Amino acid sequence: MRILREWVLAIALYVAIILDGSFSLYLHQFMSFHNYGAACMIMPIGIILIGLFDDTNANEIWLALGTGVVADIFTLGIIGVYTVALPLLCWGSQRVARFLPETFWARLIVVLLGVSLLDIYSWIILSMVGIINVSGHVLLFSVLINLIWSLVFYVLTYWIWGGLTVNYPFLVDLDAYRQ
Amino acid sequence: MKKFLQNKKLLSAFLIVIIILIVLGGSVRLRNRRNSPLIIQSFGNDLVAAGSRIVDAPLSLISGGLNSVNDLLNTQSENNHLKSQVTDLAQTKARDQALKAENRQLKKALELKDTLTSYNKINASVISRSSDTWSDLLVINKGSSAGVRKNQAVMSGGGVIGRVIEVNAASAKVELITTTDKSANRFAVQAEAANGKKVHGIITVNSANSLAFTQVVDSRKLKQGTKVYTSGMGGNSPKGLLIGTVAATTRDSFGLSDLIKINPAGDINDPSVVTVIERKVAN
Repeated sequence: MRILREWVLAIALYVAIILDGSFSLYLHQFMSFHNYGAACMIMPIGIILIGLFDDTNANEIWLALGTGVVADIFTLGIIGVYTVALPLLCWGSQRVARFLPETFWARLIVVLLGVSLLDIYSWIILSMVGIINVSGHVLLFSVLINLIWSLVFYVLTYWIWGGLTVNYPFLVDLDAYRQ
Repeated sequence: MKKFLQNKKLLSAFLIVIIILIVLGGSVRLRNRRNSPLIIQSFGNDLVAAGSRIVDAPLSLISGGLNSVNDLLNTQSENNHLKSQVTDLAQTKARDQALKAENRQLKKALELKDTLTSYNKINASVISRSSDTWSDLLVINKGSSAGVRKNQAVMSGGGVIGRVIEVNAASAKVELITTTDKSANRFAVQAEAANGKKVHGIITVNSANSLAFTQVVDSRKLKQGTKVYTSGMGGNSPKGLLIGTVAATTRDSFGLSDLIKINPAGDINDPSVVTVIERKVAN
């Protein structure tokens, strides 16, 4: 049971990867506008919020790395997009959390900035390796649509990620501190 | 140089960037060249696909329910449209059977076994879609154990929607025909011109992210509404799979070659069930 508690956050991120794929499938028509599309970013939002809620647990950066490898393999088939971006986002949000007010709105700004950076980074990498050929203005509009959808997913998942991170930090047994 | 080598942080960052670039380049090379992914990659894909199947079950129920309501609302107009087609159906069916029998006899007489038009079908459900903004990938619930192979054509809603790019044991990834991937295999296609001659070319994606029939010698003979099919010449797909219809004919941005815009026949936006096409004739 103790091991399960320590891995709850990893299981939640696994479910988030699955939900990202399923929601992209069923909400695709609503998430795209003409040639501009948005990404379903429940899992990246989760990684940023984990970093913001718990800025002391270094294990969570390794968790972000593992999640990134799985997400890269499952969604893109190449390693180097989420594998690099997620640990950096987690590390960055842990650093920012040290001086950021612990409020819903302050964290929202960090999350929106983080998902936009992820979107731009994935555009750069995928363009560089020739998997996509998308113009700059499509990138700009897609990032804007992405911000709207990320806001929706942030509102829907903020308290879930908060509760999970505070109650079940990755590879930390809270009971050991309580006794 | 000496300063750089003595600065451990800078050196570590440099090494990390090099490692990332090597891993990225290696995985892209693997993706494009290998017929099946590495075992560890295949296992990871199937593990997430198994979870996707569980989540997909209730979601597809809800989505199916909403679609049923929508269908019900459109029943009257759909019924009227179908009634007008029913009269022709019996005659088309009879003609189709006669042509099939004649085709079989002719093949037998010529001692032909499988031709470019021969293929098997593998039905599959879509369980996931790439969640990022840029790539056009679907995950289906059939893999190598069901006979799915890399580069097979995939159809949905009456037309080709893409091609299999990665095959695992129990799942496979499909790259949509609208992809801008430079390394993607393009479909070799043909259409019948107004003068009865066949016009050959390939399907690409233009700057407006819509399908285009390119590398055509003379497109002026192709009228709007002309159907475009696979020609079977590319080696991976059989002949006769519907890609779409001609929407408009223009010149490319350099004014050098013809550019024919295609309205896709397949359901690219919302494919829930797909058919993987296995070509019978060897490549």
